[in-house]
Parts: sequence; structure tokens; C-alpha cells
Amino acid sequence: MDFLLVLGIVTVSCLALGLISKYLRQASIPAYIIAGILFRYSSERLEFGLISSYDFAQVVQGLGKIGIILLMFYIGHEFNFRGIKEPGRFFAGCTDFGVNFIAGFSLGLLIGLSLLEAFILASAVYISSSAIVISSLIENKRLIYPEAETVVWLMVFEDIILAILLVVLTSITSDSLAMIMIPVSLAKTLLLIVFILVLIRGLSNFISPLFERDDEIPILLIFALIFGFSALAHLLTVSEVIVAFFLGSALSGVKPFKKLLGDTISFKNLFLTIFFFSFGMMFSFEFAGLPLTEFVLALLALITLSILGKFVSGALIGKKQHGSLETGLRVGAYTTPRGEFSVVLLAVVLGMEMGISELLFSLVVAYVIFLSLIGSFIAKHGDRIGKAMTVGINKLMTLKR
Amino acid sequence: MRISELPEIGTKYEIESPKGDKVAVIFLATGEIELYVLEASAEKPSVTRLTSEEARRLGSVLTGALLTIEREDVEVSFSEISDLRINIHICPVTKYVVGKSIEDLAIRKKTGVTIIAISRKGRSIISPPPETVLEEGDLIVAIGEHEQIKACEREILQPG
Repeated sequence: MDFLLVLGIVTVSCLALGLISKYLRQASIPAYIIAGILFRYSSERLEFGLISSYDFAQVVQGLGKIGIILLMFYIGHEFNFRGIKEPGRFFAGCTDFGVNFIAGFSLGLLIGLSLLEAFILASAVYISSSAIVISSLIENKRLIYPEAETVVWLMVFEDIILAILLVVLTSITSDSLAMIMIPVSLAKTLLLIVFILVLIRGLSNFISPLFERDDEIPILLIFALIFGFSALAHLLTVSEVIVAFFLGSALSGVKPFKKLLGDTISFKNLFLTIFFFSFGMMFSFEFAGLPLTEFVLALLALITLSILGKFVSGALIGKKQHGSLETGLRVGAYTTPRGEFSVVLLAVVLGMEMGISELLFSLVVAYVIFLSLIGSFIAKHGDRIGKAMTVGINKLMTLKR
Repeated sequence: MRISELPEIGTKYEIESPKGDKVAVIFLATGEIELYVLEASAEKPSVTRLTSEEARRLGSVLTGALLTIEREDVEVSFSEISDLRINIHICPVTKYVVGKSIEDLAIRKKTGVTIIAISRKGRSIISPPPETVLEEGDLIVAIGEHEQIKACEREILQPG
């Protein structure tokens, strides 16, 4: 399989669907996933033989993996450990986690997933899409409202929970399923994290001048650090995305690195797009052997629950933080979109090569596509939805009396 | 004024008038600046996005420099030389200096301030010679550091 042909197909089809999504003013994450799904579907139908080619999937997935690593690196770099400690933000973050994680976990068990799978599903249900939520706040002109701040800090809180969930999940899934190995691999992960943080701090005087150079050394240094530590993580069977996250946060303390952040973001954007494509490529239309109606029912239940979950947690946060139910419902509406993190989480678990069922996989792919689109819509009309719901709830209250 | 950090977005500066109108300025991570205005009774805010250059111009209008000239400063910046800013100060003459020449007052020698123009009855004298005698109602246009200008006001325009 020709490498350039692979690159051509992936980039051109992502560009086409990405452009369409921008024209329709929709989130672009589902567009890239759908590009992957369409590619697999058409190559199976028309018998290109590309998808069966081992190389093709391998190449696309390899490039996609760089995307996940760079995304986590970026999130780690932007992470603000200080701001999160404010009691209000801490409470909001915990409420968001509690309500939505429990909702996802219960539904997972209800539709017959194993404990571990329900845990994965719950994580995917809990985590909103920072990318969609934040661009929606800016595009829909919400930054002046006090709840915008609450929402942004919720996203930051979700980032740290994501890192913790990934540490836990990969510790469970990496070495073996034997319970005794979990503390061992957890300890290994934590040790590696501490090693990175200490090493970067220790070397910062040596690294800083290298970042100030005008030649190819700075960008090479970044990727050497990222891939070097990823390789180390791989050898130690620790998840490379966690390593990337903490490497990013360690480098945020190295001032001259700021200059290179823009370049890193460009690489992240490119490879993340390829990642979404590769993710879509793994989706098959067989719905895990379930009859279509049952699959659709499970999906509908999941979507409804996820939307309701965010409104409930939003309402609780709004009541406590802003003293207003309506504001809270708006927080709920703004945080409804799910996206990149739900997908990344699943991909990381898949990468650890533990058997997760087709049902969970297909469910999450379809879930993310729908909830990124529906979520953006709800976020866009959050003001009206919040108002209508408040009016409805108030009416219900007076009826009861 | 309330300042708050919005991770991944930028920094927000917010001010609320007694009537309940809100104005917010958001410095985006991209370097652009968003200006929000939300009237107390309005459902939706009005928003515009400015480049840093536009924001600076708007800022100097808001500080009043271009509208009220008495005792105000104008900052001149050059697109070619980005770190050169010249502060131009405008102050009316006082009874202590009327009838004296620039040379007599030794403004430059005593305080370091340079008078670059005098506005007299709607006409202006650019780069006035040292022997120019100040008259009542004149506006002095001078350049100098903030401290030097303060010294000039203290020692020459309002002595004692």
C-alpha cells in the first residue's frame, strides 16, 4: 500500500467533510469520524481491498495516535492547577462528575455491559468536549455572563479527572486483569510521572536556551521529548497519553517553550483529525450482533440520559454558585456537547488491548457523533432552553401546591 | 473592575455601571480583543472583535485624551517603531508664567521638559523659539517623561 495514497485519501476526505461541517455551522469532530466510517463502508462495498490491507489501517492508526498524544500534551500544558482549588469550582467539578458518571455507570450495567465496560462508558458520558464547549461560548457571545466562567472552569476540572480516569483505566487494563497487578502498575505510572516532573524541572536551565534557537532544534526537541517519553512509557507498559499530559504540564513551567506552543497546536490539529478518521474506520454497521432496534433504543436511552445528566448537574451548580436555577440550566446546556475526550478515552482503552465488546465500541462511536451535533445545538440555544425549562419547572411547582 | 482568568480563552476585565449595564473586555489567547456591552434590560450582549491596534485607538478615545485637551495627555505611537511611544502633554499657562519667555523660565534646564508648540487664540506656534513670551490663555504642548512633567507643573506653573 502506497504511503502517499493513504495520506491523500485521509486528508482529502477529511478536508471535504470538514468544509461541509463548517458550511453547515456544525461541530467538525463528527465530520472526520463520518469520513472514516464512509471510507470503510465504501471500500467494503466497492471492494477496493484497501481496508483489508494491513498497512492502511496500521498507518492511519499510527498517525492518529500522534494526534491523541499531542492533544493530551496540549491539555497538560494548558492545565491550571492553582485556579481549580477555589472551593466553588471544586464543588462544581465534583457535582458534574458525581451526577454524570453515576448516570452513565448505571445505564451501562442496565444494558448488560461488564463492570469495567460500564466504567468506560460512564467516563465517556461524563466528559464534555472542551473544544466544542469553548468555541460555542465564544461564537455564541456568552463570555460576558458569569456562568461562562463556571463552564470554563468545569472544563478544566474535567481535564484533571480525565487524567485520573486514564491512569486508573490503563492501570486496570495494562498488565493483566489480575487484581494484584493493579497497585503495581498504578505505582509504576505514578513513578514515571514524578520522574518526568522532576527531570524537566532539573533540566530546565539546560533546555530553556535550546528553545530560544531559531533553527530546527526547538521543534525537534519538543518531539524528541514527546516521543522519547512515549517510547519509555511503552517499554514500561504505562499509557503514553498520561505521560504526554504530564510532560505538557511540566513544560508549561519552562518559559521559552511558549514560543513553540503555536507550532505544537498546528501539529495537534492535523494529527487529531487523522485520529478521528481512524476512529471512524473502526466502526462497522453490524451493531455488535444486536438487532438494529435494540441498538437504537440503547443509544436513545444513552443520549437522553446524558443530556438530562448535564442539566441536572448544571441546575445543582447554578443553584449553589449563582443562586439561580435558570443560570444553572444554562450551564447544563452549554456543557452538553461530548466529543474528543470520549473518543480518546475509548481509543486509549482499545490500545491497551483488553477485550472490550463491540457493543460498547459501536455505542460510543454513534453516541459521540450524535451528541456532538445535538450538544452543539443545545449549547447554541442554551438561553432559550434554560428559560423555557425554568418556566416549565415553575409551573409544575405551582401545580403541585 | 473585576479581572478573571478564563483558561484556554484568555483574560476577562469586567465593569458594571450603577444602572446595571455591563461592559467586558476579553483579551483572547489569539491576541485579539473582544468588547462586550450588555445593557441591564437587554437579552443579548453586543460584541465586537478588535485587533490590538484598534483596541489601543479606542482606548485612547475612552481615556478622553482626544476630547478634553486641558491637562490631558496624548500618546503617539508609530506603526513602524513599535516600542517608541511619545507622551504629549497639554497644559494651560498660569498667572505665574504669563509675561515671561521660555528662556527666562528655563523649563528645559530645570525640568527636562521640552515645549514643542503653543496654541494661542486658535492659532498654533510650532517649535517656538526660546524668546517667545507666554500670554494669558495660551496652551503649552510639551513632551517629557511623566515625572518631568509633574516637576514642571510643580516648580514652574504652580510654584509654592
